[in-house]
Amino acid sequence: MKTLERFGIKPLDGAESREGKRWNVMEKLFLGLTLDQYLNQVVRNKFNWILTAIMAVGIPFIIYRFIFGLGSVTHSSYEYPWGLFLGFGLFCMVPLSASGFMLGTTVEIFGRHDFEPIERLALLNGLLGYFFAVVYLLVDLGQPWRLAYPMVYAWGPAAVLFLVGWHVATYLSVQVAEVSVSFFEWIGWPNAKKFIRKGTIGLTVSGIILSTLHQGALGALFTYAPGKVHPLWYSSEFQWIHYFTSSIPGGLCMVIAVSTIVIMTMAWRCDDRFKDNLDDLTIKLAKGASMGLITYLVIKLIAVAHDNEWVYLATGWGVWWMLEILGGVVLPLVLFAYGIRHKMVTMVRIGAFVTIAGILLNRLNTALIAFNWKLYQEIPHIAEIIISITIFAIYIATYRFILNRLPILYQWKAQTQEAEVSVAVTASPEREQEIPARA
Amino acid sequence: MSKVSRRKFLAGSLAGGAAVMLSPAKNAMAAGSFAGFPEGMGVLVDMTRCVGCRSCEAACNKEQKLPAPDQPFDDYSVFDQTFHHGTQKRRPTEKAYTVVNRYEPEGSDKPVYRKIQCNHCNEPACLTSCFVNAYTKTNEGAVVYDGSVCVGCRNCMIACPFHIPGYSYSKVIDPVVKKCIFCYDTRVKYGKPPACVEICPAQVLTFGKRKDLLKIARARIKKNPGKYQAEIYGEKTVGGTGWLYLSGEPFEQLGFDTTLQKEPIINNVKGFLGTVPMVLAIWPALFTGFHLLATKNKGHDDHHDSDAEEGEE
Amino acid sequence: MFVDSKWHMKSLLILLSGLFLTLPAYAMDAPESVTIDALAKYYEPVEFDHEMHVDVSEDCSSCHHHTTGTGTADQYCSKCHSEYKELVKVACQDCHPTQPFSAEVVNLQSQQDIFHADMNGLVGAYHQNCMGCHQEVGGPTGCEDCHARTEAGDEFYHAGKYAPTTAEHATAGH
Repeated sequence: MKTLERFGIKPLDGAESREGKRWNVMEKLFLGLTLDQYLNQVVRNKFNWILTAIMAVGIPFIIYRFIFGLGSVTHSSYEYPWGLFLGFGLFCMVPLSASGFMLGTTVEIFGRHDFEPIERLALLNGLLGYFFAVVYLLVDLGQPWRLAYPMVYAWGPAAVLFLVGWHVATYLSVQVAEVSVSFFEWIGWPNAKKFIRKGTIGLTVSGIILSTLHQGALGALFTYAPGKVHPLWYSSEFQWIHYFTSSIPGGLCMVIAVSTIVIMTMAWRCDDRFKDNLDDLTIKLAKGASMGLITYLVIKLIAVAHDNEWVYLATGWGVWWMLEILGGVVLPLVLFAYGIRHKMVTMVRIGAFVTIAGILLNRLNTALIAFNWKLYQEIPHIAEIIISITIFAIYIATYRFILNRLPILYQWKAQTQEAEVSVAVTASPEREQEIPARA
Repeated sequence: MSKVSRRKFLAGSLAGGAAVMLSPAKNAMAAGSFAGFPEGMGVLVDMTRCVGCRSCEAACNKEQKLPAPDQPFDDYSVFDQTFHHGTQKRRPTEKAYTVVNRYEPEGSDKPVYRKIQCNHCNEPACLTSCFVNAYTKTNEGAVVYDGSVCVGCRNCMIACPFHIPGYSYSKVIDPVVKKCIFCYDTRVKYGKPPACVEICPAQVLTFGKRKDLLKIARARIKKNPGKYQAEIYGEKTVGGTGWLYLSGEPFEQLGFDTTLQKEPIINNVKGFLGTVPMVLAIWPALFTGFHLLATKNKGHDDHHDSDAEEGEE
Repeated sequence: MFVDSKWHMKSLLILLSGLFLTLPAYAMDAPESVTIDALAKYYEPVEFDHEMHVDVSEDCSSCHHHTTGTGTADQYCSKCHSEYKELVKVACQDCHPTQPFSAEVVNLQSQQDIFHADMNGLVGAYHQNCMGCHQEVGGPTGCEDCHARTEAGDEFYHAGKYAPTTAEHATAGH
C-alpha cells in the first residue's frame, strides 16, 4: 500500500471516487484499486505470506478434527477436558474483547465523545474477539451442531454455562448491531444506519449488563472446580469479580495494542482524526486500564486474605502466582504510572502489551496450568496448538480484512468533498516518514 | 434527546436482555440445599473386604454393553499400570465405568483395593453445571445422563470433584459423556442391585437405602473400631454421595481426596448466581442514570472534559 | 434334635432348587463333601471338602457362629448367644440369603428391631469366611484355585479363548 501511495494512488475512503463516480461493491472490496494493483499489493505484503503459510498448515488440521473427531487432535484427556481451545480461545479472547462495551459505555453513556476516533476500533475488536471465541468453542464442542440447544431445546438454567451461552449469544448480536453502523456506511444503506443509531443507548446498556455477567460468569465457571483449581487462583466468592475487573484493563489494553499495531503497519488506512488523537487517547485509555488493574490487584489480594491462603505463597505455586501478579499486574501499573505522568506513549504501549500477557497468563493458569495441580501437568497436543494458532491467524486476517475496508480507522465520506480529499492527499506523504513498517 | 433515548433504551434492553426472564428460575434452583431423596439408594463399599478380583469390572462391562477390554478381567497386571509419568492409576473411561485400583498403604501388610465409579452425589456438580440439563438425579438416587441433548461442552467433567465422567472423544458423530449410571435403566429402576453389586463375591458392596447404609456403616465401625477408620467417606463429602466407603487404612493413602468441601459444589456458585438478577435489575437504571447525568446540558461534540472515567467497574 | 430324614429332605430341596447345600450341625453328622453351585453360570460347582475343614478348624463356631451348639469363640456374639444350644437353623443358607439385595432383604436393613440387619448374603458369607482363613493359613486364594471357570465365565471375563487379541496397554486407563 505504501508503494502504491508513492504513485499517488489512494485507497477508497468514501462512497465516490475522486472523479465523482460512485463505487460499486466489487470496487469497494478491492479498496478502489484495479484488480492488478490489488493483487500486487497483497502479494507484496510479507505478512500475508506468513498468514497463508499458517493457514496452509492449520486448516487441514481443522478439517481433520471434524472428520476424525476431537480425539484425533487432542490428548482426549478426561482430567483436562478443556484444553487450549477453551483455555486460550474462550477464556483469553473474551476478556480481551471487553473493549467493545468499555468504549461504548465511555462514549455513548458517559458522553465522552473525545473517545470517538477509537470507539469503532474498540467495538470491532469486541465483536471479532467474541466471534472467534465462539469459533474456538465450535472446534472444541463435541457436538457443535447442537450449540443452539441451550437456547431453544434443553434448558439448564441453574448452570453458569447457561448464562455464558445466553449472554455471549445475545451480546454477539448486540455487537453485530453496533459494528453494523460502519458496514451500513460502507455499503451505502443510510437508513439502516439511522435505525441502529436510534437504539444505541439501549444496545450499549444491554452490552454493559451482558458483559458484566458473562465476563464474571467465565470466572464463575471455575467455582465448580474447588478441588482442581489451585487455591491461589480459586475463590468461590471473588472469582467472577476477578474475571470481570481484569477484563476491563484487558479490553482497554487490547485497544491500545491493536491501535499500536495498526498505526505501525496500516497507517495508510488511518485518517488524520485517528492519527492526531491516538497518542492522547492511548494515555487516556491507559488511565482507565490502571484503575481497572489496581482494583483487580486489590481484589486479588483480598481473595487470598479471605480464604487465608498466605501459606501457599511459600510454595512453588506461590512463586508462580506472585510472578503472574508482579509481572502481569504490578509491572504494567508501574509502566502506566510512569508513562502517563511523563506522557510517554511508548511506555504506555509496552505496559498495555504486558497487561495483555498478564491477563493471558492468568486465564491459562486458571484453566490449564494451575488446574489439576494435585494430579499432573498436561502439555497440549501438537495438533491442538496448531489449530489454536491457525484460528488466531484467521482472526488476524479477518481483522485486517475489515479494517482495510470498513470505516473503522477513518471517517466515511458519503459525498465527495474536494477539500477533504486534498487534505488527505497532502497529509499522507508526511505521515509516511514516521512509519517504519509497510502497509 | 433524553426522552427518546429513554424509550429506546427500554426497547433495547428488553430485546437485548432476553435472559432477564430466566433469572428467577436460577435463584429458585439455587436456593436451599438438597440432602438427597429420602428413599434414595446407595452402595456401601467396605474396602476391608475387597480382594481385587475385578469381577465388578467384568459385570459392568457386560451389563452396560461396553466395548471389549484391552486385557482380560482376570489379568491382575493392570494393578501395576500407571499413567502420566507414574502419577496416576487407572480411572473410569469411556470403555469402563468402574475400575479397581490397588494401593499399598504404609504399615499395612496387605494391599487395599479400591473400586471407583460415579459416586452418585446427592447434589451432583455435574448436574448443576450442565447447561442443557442432560443430567437427572432420580428418586432412586441414580445420577443418569441423557446423551441426546448433550452439546459436548464437558463442563460436567470439569465440575465432578471425583474425576469420574469419561468422554467418547474418539466418536465423530455422537460423542457423549460416559459414566456409571447405577445400572438405572436395567436394574435399579426395578429394585434390583447394580450388576457390580450382584456379582461381588465377597460382598464388598452392600446395596440399600442410603440412610440405612449409613447406619450399617456406623454399626460396623462401632463393632470393630480397630479394624475401621472412624469416618465414612461420602457421608458428608460435597453434600453427601450415594456411594459410601469404609476403609481400614487412612483414606488419603488410598487416593481419596479428603480435602474436598462438605458443602455441595453448587454452593460455591450460588454467590455469583445471586448477583445475576441484581445486575439485570439494577444496571439498566444505573447506567441510564449515568448517561442522563453525564450528557445533561452538554452538546454531542463535547471535548473539554479530559479526565478519564472509563474505570466504571 | 437334628434328624437324618430332615437332612436328606433338605438336600433334596436344595438340589431341586439348584441352590446351596447346607451344612449339618454336628461334625459327626456332617457331610464329607458339599457341592456349592451358586455361580454355576460362570464357574463349575465347587466340591467343598467339609470333612477336611472340620479336621483343620479349631471349632465349629469358626464358620457356624453359635448355631452348632458348641458355643461361640467370639466375645461379641457370646453376649447374646452364650448358650451351648444347637439351633434349628444351622445351614449357611438358612440365615444368609442367596439374593442378598432382594426387596425383602433391603427392607430388613431399615427395620430398627432387627439386630442382624447387616447380614451377608450367602456368597459374601462364604468368601469372607473362606478367604479370611485362607489368607491367614495359606490356603488357596485365587478364584480358580477353588472354582473351575466355565466357558461362559471365560466369555464374561474376556479370558481364555475370549481374551482380547491385541492388548493395547497404553489405552487401558486413558
